[in-house]
Amino acid sequence: MTVFITNARIASETSKDLPTAHILIQDGVIKSVGPDQAAPADANVIDAKGRIAMPAMFDAHVHFREPGQEAKETIQSGSEAAINGGITGVVMMPNTSPAIDSGTVVAQVLEIAKKNARIPVYTSGCVTKGRHGKELAGIDGMRSHGVKMLTDDGDSTGDPAILFRAMQYASELGMFFASHCEVPELAGPRALNEGVMSYKLGIKGSPACAEEIIIDRDIRLAHATGAHIHIQHVSSKLGMETIAWWKARGDVKVTAEVSPHHLLFTDEHIGDYDTHYKMNPPLRTKADNEALLQGLIDGTFDLIATDHAPHTPFEKSQDFVAAPNGITGLDTALVSLYHHFIATGNFGWDLLIKRYSAEPRRMMGLDVPTITEGSAADLILFDPEAETTFTADFMKSKSRNTPFLDQTLKGRVDLVILGDEILLQR
Amino acid sequence: MPRKDLLDIASLDREEIEVLLDQAVPFKELFTRSVKKVPALKGKSVLMLFYEPSTRTHSSFEVAAKRLSADVTNFDVAQSSITKGESVRETVETLQSMRTDYIIVRHKSSGLPGTIARLTKASVVNAGDGAHAHPTQALLDAFTIKEKFPDPTGKKVLIVGDILHSRVARSTSTILKKLGLQVSYLGPGSLVPRLGPENIQRFTNYEEAMKWQPDVVYLLRVQMERQDVQFFPSIREYHKLYGVTDARLEEIRQRGLYIMHPGPVNRGVELCDAVLDYERSLINDQVENGIAVRMSVLYHLRPNA
Repeated sequence: MTVFITNARIASETSKDLPTAHILIQDGVIKSVGPDQAAPADANVIDAKGRIAMPAMFDAHVHFREPGQEAKETIQSGSEAAINGGITGVVMMPNTSPAIDSGTVVAQVLEIAKKNARIPVYTSGCVTKGRHGKELAGIDGMRSHGVKMLTDDGDSTGDPAILFRAMQYASELGMFFASHCEVPELAGPRALNEGVMSYKLGIKGSPACAEEIIIDRDIRLAHATGAHIHIQHVSSKLGMETIAWWKARGDVKVTAEVSPHHLLFTDEHIGDYDTHYKMNPPLRTKADNEALLQGLIDGTFDLIATDHAPHTPFEKSQDFVAAPNGITGLDTALVSLYHHFIATGNFGWDLLIKRYSAEPRRMMGLDVPTITEGSAADLILFDPEAETTFTADFMKSKSRNTPFLDQTLKGRVDLVILGDEILLQR
Repeated sequence: MPRKDLLDIASLDREEIEVLLDQAVPFKELFTRSVKKVPALKGKSVLMLFYEPSTRTHSSFEVAAKRLSADVTNFDVAQSSITKGESVRETVETLQSMRTDYIIVRHKSSGLPGTIARLTKASVVNAGDGAHAHPTQALLDAFTIKEKFPDPTGKKVLIVGDILHSRVARSTSTILKKLGLQVSYLGPGSLVPRLGPENIQRFTNYEEAMKWQPDVVYLLRVQMERQDVQFFPSIREYHKLYGVTDARLEEIRQRGLYIMHPGPVNRGVELCDAVLDYERSLINDQVENGIAVRMSVLYHLRPNA
């Protein structure tokens, strides 16, 4: 297949400039990028008309629910939601049923992904069997099937001694750790932030310190063992400052991610018990939003990840405490980040590409695509002038549990090319 | 526009609160007559949906509905198929098919009555949801205080006890402030939140709180069953620090303060036995007024056609 994209503005992680050029793609590789070239006779010519071409995104934190909870999402529907949002690679979390805690389950998941997904789907593996925090999972079995990230996401690994030993063991095998940070005894029913809103709504809140304590604990464990620790979905200012403090020391390998919802929403959005603003860690305050945004810009956060967490309408229609935590994110992330941060001038495409395309792939040890000669074709076209309305029909995820449902935002993903295939064209 | 549901106090303005309270006066006058019934809700059906055990609030609503000539049905939650797995929607659809006009709901989950209200045409009255709201308790408390202080503006009410878990504290303080009273909270540091209560002074020391010179001391029931973890070391210690002991009752008597309590009381915890015979205890008034304001609430609400 030969594709010739004309009049695209090219974005990259290294420059704020968006030079206009034509892109020639042949057999899944970018053959040339430049202003002066003609389309080959056999090319599928796509006129970008000034739309922005950039490497496709990569989401290092998604819940695809398969095996075991296919009513919420499957690897197929989840990966289609990713494509819909301009994302061509994901890392699944292992809190499926059964949990992804052995080479056997990893092999099963990757086989389903190979058959049903049009993008590469990677999976993390559990630190402990069944995520129960008692016994080490089958670490080398998972590694032999390509697992790099170990996490008990959904919970912290409760026993620090187990995590300490897992870090000593698995770091030698070239694996790294990702931590969901939460002291369960402090978190109560894990429903919302402790503060003005939790008092008003009459539900016990989870104080930010419940998260911050484990952020510090797990970085300390990594410091002591030489492991690489990745801190997931940070929601609090003080948690972020804890990471920044450790990063400044420079003697521990620590990376961190922030989710779009923790940049955009506060606990006040819960309003009259709206479960589409219920996630864990919970939404906190405006001051946290602002601090996290600065952390994303200054590099305290290496990457953006959605924590895409689909749930059925029935589950989310239960009362606020009973309803499960989490919202979907893959269909909406890129457009919502453009609408709220790039279109408003908070940061540029270069930062977004770095944080949501390049860095997550680097963390996973993958090649980083660019729009340059010789790079693998792994790119999208984004129309900053168009709009997207997130209707139920628009969403490719099986679930609709997103605060963006039926909202219209600026920006639209118009084209997704991966290798020799056009995955999406609007 | 007529009001369909009563879910909390926050959504009522002062005018509507006054209407509800004023309307309760003639209902209360009925209670001294030989025939205590009026035909206001004749032919209407009231369904009691109590997911949490309650004797007082349940009977109070039931008596109120019957004195308005409504037909009262108890939806026996303990014996129905309602478990954690069944959706509220299914239960409400069942009730909708029964063409109920009013649903009185109590549930341990904050916000659940609101969910039910959105799903049904019936008028929903929140009879207590989690630690969120208990609007009819607030109305009866306000009614009781207004009987003693016809112009309550500026009067001071000290609410004592487990504020954190108390829907009564939330709703009653909200209504009192809307009516122009001042409210303070007193209790152990672990049970009086620092964040949340707006314009409410926070005390953790009994003597300091007394210097604030309250007119009413409102004691909350210490709810041991709501404490998923321990919030104070022992009942003995709670009573010593925050309970109305014999000595404190004497001080309260000398100052002429009223004592209120939503019931049922824990003797030897939030109060000593002698409080129950204290001449300015309004605890029994609260029970009687509860029926009158609940009649007023049912009379006030308009189910959707």
